[in-house]
Amino acid sequence: MTFHGTDWFLLSPELVLTTAGLILLALAPVFRKGHDEFVGFLSFLFVGVTAVFLAIVSAAPARHAGPILAGMFVVDNFAVFFKFAILLTIALTILASIGFLGSAPYPSVEFFALLLFAGVGMLFMVSGSNLISIYVSLELMALSSYILAGYFKGQVKSTEAALKYFILGAFSSAVLLYGLSLVYGVGGKLGLTELAQMYAGTQRTNLVVLGILLVLAGLLFKIAAVPFHVWTPDVYEGSPTPVTAFFAVGPKLAAYAILARIFYVGFPKFHADWGLIVALVAAATMIWGNIAALLQTNVKRMFAYSSIAHAGYALLGVLGFQTPFGLWGILVYLLAYTFMNFGAFALVIFLETRGYAAETVADFNGLAKRNMPAAIVMLLFLLSLAGIPPTAGFIGKYYLFTAAMKAGYAWLAVLAVLASAVSLFYYFRIAAAMFFSEAEGAPMKGSFALTAAVIVCAAGTLVVGIAPERVLEVLRHCVPGTY
Amino acid sequence: MKDLIWLIPLFPLAGFLVNGLVYLIDHRTKGEPLHDELHSHQAAAESQKHLGHPHAHMHEETHPEPKLIHTIVGPGSVALSCLFAFGAIFDLGLSRLSEGAVHVVTLYRWLPLGVNEAVGQVPGKAAEWFVDAAFRLDSLSALMLAFVTFVGFLIHVYSVGYMGHDAGYGRYFAYLNLFMFSMLVLVLGNNFLLLFVGWEGVGLCSYLLIGYDYHKKNAADAGKKAFVVNRIGDFGFILGIFGVFALFGSLDFGKVFPAAAAAGPDVTPYMTLICICLFVGACGKSAQFPLYVWLPDAMAGPTPVSALIHAATMVTAGVYMVSRCNVLFRLSPDAMVVVAVIGGFTALFAATIGLAQNDIKKVLAYSTVSQLGYMFLACGVGAFVAGMFHVLTHAFFKACLFLGSGSVIHALSGEQDIQRMGGLSSKIRTTYRTFLIATIAIAGIPPLAGFFSKDAILGAVFEAHMPTAPVWLPRLLWVTGIFTAGMTAFYMFRLVSLTFWGTYRGTAEQESHIHESPSSMTIPLIVLAFLSIVGGWIGIPIARGGDKIGEFLSPILLPLAGAHSAEHHANVSLEVLLMAASVAVAVTGILLAYVWYAKGGGETPAKIAQRYPGVYRAVYNKYYVDEAYNALFVEGLAKGGGRFLWEVDATVVDLIPNGAAGVTKAFSWISSLFDQYVVDGLVNGLADTLQAGYRMFRSAQTGRVQNYALVMGAGLFAIVAVYLVFR
Amino acid sequence: MNLSQMPILSIVTYIPLVGALLIVFLVPKEKTGTIKMLATVFAGVDLLVSLPLWFAFDRAKAGYQFQERASWIPSLGVDYHFGIDGISLVLILLTTFVGFIAVYCSYTAIHERQKEYYVLLLLLQTFMIGTFCCLDFFLFYVFWEVMLVPMYFLIGVWGGERRLYAAIKFFLYTLAGSVLMLLGIIALYFYNTTGFLGYKGLGHAPTFSVEALTAVASGMPAELQVWLFFAFFFGFAIKVPMFPFHTWLPDAHTEAPTAGSVILAAVLLKMGTYGFVRFSLPMFPEAIKTDWVLGLVVALAIIGIVYGAMVTLVQKDMKKLIAYSSVSHLGFVMLGVFAGNMAGLQGGILQMVNHGVSTGALFLLVGIVYERRHTRMIAEYGGLARQMPLYATYFLIMALSSMGLPLLNGFIGEFTILQGAFARNFWWAFFASMGIVLGAAYLLWLYQRVFFGELSNPANAKLPDLTMREQLTLAPLVVAALWIGLYPKPLFDVLRTPSENIVRSLGGKTMPPPAMAVKAPPAPAAAETGAGQPR
Repeated sequence: MTFHGTDWFLLSPELVLTTAGLILLALAPVFRKGHDEFVGFLSFLFVGVTAVFLAIVSAAPARHAGPILAGMFVVDNFAVFFKFAILLTIALTILASIGFLGSAPYPSVEFFALLLFAGVGMLFMVSGSNLISIYVSLELMALSSYILAGYFKGQVKSTEAALKYFILGAFSSAVLLYGLSLVYGVGGKLGLTELAQMYAGTQRTNLVVLGILLVLAGLLFKIAAVPFHVWTPDVYEGSPTPVTAFFAVGPKLAAYAILARIFYVGFPKFHADWGLIVALVAAATMIWGNIAALLQTNVKRMFAYSSIAHAGYALLGVLGFQTPFGLWGILVYLLAYTFMNFGAFALVIFLETRGYAAETVADFNGLAKRNMPAAIVMLLFLLSLAGIPPTAGFIGKYYLFTAAMKAGYAWLAVLAVLASAVSLFYYFRIAAAMFFSEAEGAPMKGSFALTAAVIVCAAGTLVVGIAPERVLEVLRHCVPGTY
Repeated sequence: MKDLIWLIPLFPLAGFLVNGLVYLIDHRTKGEPLHDELHSHQAAAESQKHLGHPHAHMHEETHPEPKLIHTIVGPGSVALSCLFAFGAIFDLGLSRLSEGAVHVVTLYRWLPLGVNEAVGQVPGKAAEWFVDAAFRLDSLSALMLAFVTFVGFLIHVYSVGYMGHDAGYGRYFAYLNLFMFSMLVLVLGNNFLLLFVGWEGVGLCSYLLIGYDYHKKNAADAGKKAFVVNRIGDFGFILGIFGVFALFGSLDFGKVFPAAAAAGPDVTPYMTLICICLFVGACGKSAQFPLYVWLPDAMAGPTPVSALIHAATMVTAGVYMVSRCNVLFRLSPDAMVVVAVIGGFTALFAATIGLAQNDIKKVLAYSTVSQLGYMFLACGVGAFVAGMFHVLTHAFFKACLFLGSGSVIHALSGEQDIQRMGGLSSKIRTTYRTFLIATIAIAGIPPLAGFFSKDAILGAVFEAHMPTAPVWLPRLLWVTGIFTAGMTAFYMFRLVSLTFWGTYRGTAEQESHIHESPSSMTIPLIVLAFLSIVGGWIGIPIARGGDKIGEFLSPILLPLAGAHSAEHHANVSLEVLLMAASVAVAVTGILLAYVWYAKGGGETPAKIAQRYPGVYRAVYNKYYVDEAYNALFVEGLAKGGGRFLWEVDATVVDLIPNGAAGVTKAFSWISSLFDQYVVDGLVNGLADTLQAGYRMFRSAQTGRVQNYALVMGAGLFAIVAVYLVFR
Repeated sequence: MNLSQMPILSIVTYIPLVGALLIVFLVPKEKTGTIKMLATVFAGVDLLVSLPLWFAFDRAKAGYQFQERASWIPSLGVDYHFGIDGISLVLILLTTFVGFIAVYCSYTAIHERQKEYYVLLLLLQTFMIGTFCCLDFFLFYVFWEVMLVPMYFLIGVWGGERRLYAAIKFFLYTLAGSVLMLLGIIALYFYNTTGFLGYKGLGHAPTFSVEALTAVASGMPAELQVWLFFAFFFGFAIKVPMFPFHTWLPDAHTEAPTAGSVILAAVLLKMGTYGFVRFSLPMFPEAIKTDWVLGLVVALAIIGIVYGAMVTLVQKDMKKLIAYSSVSHLGFVMLGVFAGNMAGLQGGILQMVNHGVSTGALFLLVGIVYERRHTRMIAEYGGLARQMPLYATYFLIMALSSMGLPLLNGFIGEFTILQGAFARNFWWAFFASMGIVLGAAYLLWLYQRVFFGELSNPANAKLPDLTMREQLTLAPLVVAALWIGLYPKPLFDVLRTPSENIVRSLGGKTMPPPAMAVKAPPAPAAAETGAGQPR
């Protein structure tokens, strides 16, 4: 068991972010209410610094040496992509939260600190190449998330969300842990690569497969796939909206990363065993998510179901992980998803900070009259979510459908395209509200930070949609095993 | 000059454009206040309840200058085409025409359809298909050209007087010119498609002119009826054209007919189909059973229109087309039989209806249908020359009759019911004399025109040779024909008796201003009456070289093997016998009509009507055919079917999207309920904030959150189960 | 100026987009006059710029012309590839033509949110032209889908009472069809490259090029062709719309504003038929030669003709009436296209244009009277002929052209289509021809109810006749109708070469055989004299 100095260098982003979180906590007594903006931008700065370190790391040749810290972590392009994506998510969340917290009666320092800690957890998680490291970092992320969900203690919704999230999160963690232990028990190894080598030789036993399935179940909870989605609507609806936006993107990124890594690196041999199941889960998720979203009147609840549906699409990529389009597709799609989904939530936040706490579709009525740019941008996100070209969403979905077709799941592809066609219905209820119904009230302006976040998302959605080549090329090199 | 035949249709077309534009410019709406509108309308409607009356809406006089333009351009354009027509004919030469000279002027390539596969037995298959815009002058088209332009010109002149006071003077002449254009295209067209162009064009003009008084419902209805019924015929016609094209790879008369003549018996089945289709078209245009129903209603149009379109020219287009295609028809004896039978039946059927009509124009209309039946009867037995001959003579005397009736209506300021006429012979002499001449002509009394053509037909029918039909059919048809001739004579003289003879039965108010029509109307009458006398002398039977028209048309209408003898070398005695028979029948009819109506004042027929009320009512109501059609096809099939299908559309077919949406939404509702219930959405989980924490905890314990776990656990087991099942 | 040197197609495509952006960023929404002016100018310039294509187009040359090609997403093999043949040329000109009219006819129809309105019109035009130019499946799909968005808003914002329902129905229905087409495209892509679902790929470099994939597809095994044919079929058939998928059309048409209906009828419906001609026929000949497939499609087309016409007969709403008549007309187009011989195919394509002209004009006319009376119910009218003689005249001409009266455009299309159908099968032509009779019936009945009879409704008493601007919008369409009716040869010349390629790909004959169709006829009694040569 040997530690190299470069190992710590390669983990510097995580370390920086941890320090940043601690600093914030230390500053907590100093900054009570009133300095939310400052704290927000400070933490944004920290994230920026982390990103710089990450950039340096990603440029370093040393990381290609393979697993570090005795095989605990690996800093391959795959991980690097996710780390960037996660940092982006956190940055956006911070920008979106600043105004929001300012108007809420709760201190913002702890909030941002927790956000950063969750980030740390996710950064470790996407690098994890060892059952233990994966589980621990996952728990770090999860625990921070539970608290964030219940951060608005005064609101029953929020606390209930936190409680439900916690209880069920614990349940799923247990399942995951049980699965991991089974896998370890049979294989006797903790590192994914070692496990893969182990199983490459041995006959596969039901016990292993059971373990794998339990791991799968545990991760499906994190990505909110049917039937492990049930917590999502409540938690999304209950949590403070910036947190919801964060949940809808961040943890899913990490969970997909780890899902892909475990099943691609760890158990490729067992594809036959989990393929059909993932296919069924994907089908159920796409159908259930889209269908249930149709009649929702609460926007956050609707987006909760929509994100469930999107989890289903992404599973197509997992299915096709053997094809060149599978993991590549997941990367493209998750990037697109980050932009468009966060963008949509940012607009919801925008309305909430402008006094529409009801969070219903009706809040969007006449937005076109009151703030045309906002309406147009929202329309862009909705089109992208529905997969209408030329947007990021279309490119992402295109890859996933391609992967499914290639992997031989044509029926699933047909299901997916039809489901995504259906999704247009509920997305465009918002579009209709924005453009068709009459406006009441004065024009609305957004805060600087939020506007910045929205602009970033819109730009991302458009660039990936219209000129995707550069992005695609980069992501192609992030697929595991291609560095 | 023969190279300028393409100008002949263009003159009326130009006239149409000028008249139309002038009229539109003159009649730009001034937005008159409504009450004037309605008032004047009611006035018009009350003052004249009857059809085709010229003074229907005199409240809008056409301004003098435009009116002058219309008066010059309308008849003038037709006069020009008449001149050019005769110029072309004589330029080409009658003798050369009768030797079979054909002159084709090609304007441009109209439809290049590329290379297509021809169907049927004809060898070769794939070939370059195209249709040219080309005009054709041969003896047949020359004949039609001559009388269409000439009669057309006369009727234009007549219209100047008849429509003089009408608000739509310009519109009227625009339509009339457009009609001349279409009719001339029909006559001159060098291929089936151009023929069809004219065919549809005259149909359109007939629609426009019947519905000329568009503010009257019956006029508008009649127009629509005419167009739609004609479209049903065209449905057949166009199929026939497709057949010709598909079989011969061309529509050019100059290609198709020689090819057909050379094709031999192997194409007969196709020919039967094609010819039946073509004949359906002819039935529509020439008002043969069962498509005759539109013609009587068409009398809603102005009387000159009835004369020009619905007597002299357009309705004979069907006969022209069948004669033009005589080569094809001869290849299919079955089709010929159909033509003959339909023609004979229509002749009889219409004649019987004509017996009991009281509207002067309706009588003439049914007589027209009946005479057209004659013409088809002739074509059916292969006597195409006789058919065309009758077309010619019929054009003269029937035009004269209609114009005469128009003059009568004009004199009686709109009266059309012959029961309210009588004794007019002294009051409007010119009209009376011309009308009488035409009546004698149609009755078939020698030496007037009608006699010769009708006799030619009957003779041909008597000696007809129909290979595929039972031997008694020709005889039966002959009996039908001669019986019809008798009825024709009868109802025509009934008409004359009730109109001109006896005593006046109308109102004194009308009687007060009975007046002879202006010379612009009487002169055409005189000319046509003259033609009704001499028109037949170009087809004198028996006498050597008497049958000029037969020789003239022989290159196009080659006589049928069987009918040949009937037309030329029949033995004189038989010929004379037949003539005598037909004359005798005609005279009988005339005398009967004279005795019953002129002398007897109509008691006898009244008695008969009382004796057989059922028969009388049936005949009087035209055998209720219109009612039946309306109930069956219009209300039943078309509208009823349409409404039904619309229901289907709104319910069943729309299920595809809406049903899908409905099911999805239902599922959505269920699924969200499921999540709501199992997952316990916060709806009922929430209470006041004070006890929230406690409540939360309790709710967690009392199973709400356990329900989540339940679902997830179940899902977990499902997953494992799936694995165990499918591994 | 040599057109082949410059990206003329892109220019034609993006001029309206430029106009839209200018309006968005430079003109405040209060300045409606400027907005109208700009929109009209850009639409007009687009029309003018598109005209040279007609003259520079090489009729004899097979394949695509004015090609522009640039790599867009190399990693997928997606190109930005434009190019047109005769078929797309005709439709592009139709689009620019109708697009201009659509802008020009909206001056008085649209009163609120004018800025958005004209921007959307211009955007829509860009997307439509782009769709006709595409020679890359991926790009085609992008244009095909994005086109729905502006139309959705045109219907939804400026539409009638049930506009929301109509808009989303239109969007969802057409989208549902086209996503399946996307899968078809993906399948083609894989068949060309690495294979899928047990079909061994050809191992070519990845590409979405229409030409390449068409060649590949036509070589596919029959059963795969059938599958893919239906994948594309739904996308196109819903757009056309063919018989059971047509119910979105009446709603969309009835609710859409006049210009929307005009564009919808004139251009958007042609997307579907264009798709069939451009893709389905050449790509899946085996599928189309399969009896049950051909039988099914033709049956649907014929049912559409008769069924559509009969439903039209009983409509009470003018716009709905004309909308249903479109179902009938498009049935004719489909019949001609799937007759698969020169006559049918050329006729079908020509009928696309004709329907655009005639039905577009009819929607314009209905819109004109709707602006005056704000009702489309036929019962509200009657006797207009004496009040609005000019209007009545225009309406009559377009109605006649729509019912296929000779010397007007509709006849040329219907005749050639039915001729082609007859050459394939007597019964196809027989049943389809019923549409002609019914067509006359419903249009004449409409005309009678609106224009004939007494001017009984006081509300109609003061209706002003056509204004000069309205006449200017209608006159070009009348001219077009007459031109196509009298001298359609130029159009046939343009359509001939591409049609021949398609017919050949379907295994039909396109070269005249040595022997003439019939035995040499005997010389007529006297030799025909003649004058003039077919030009």
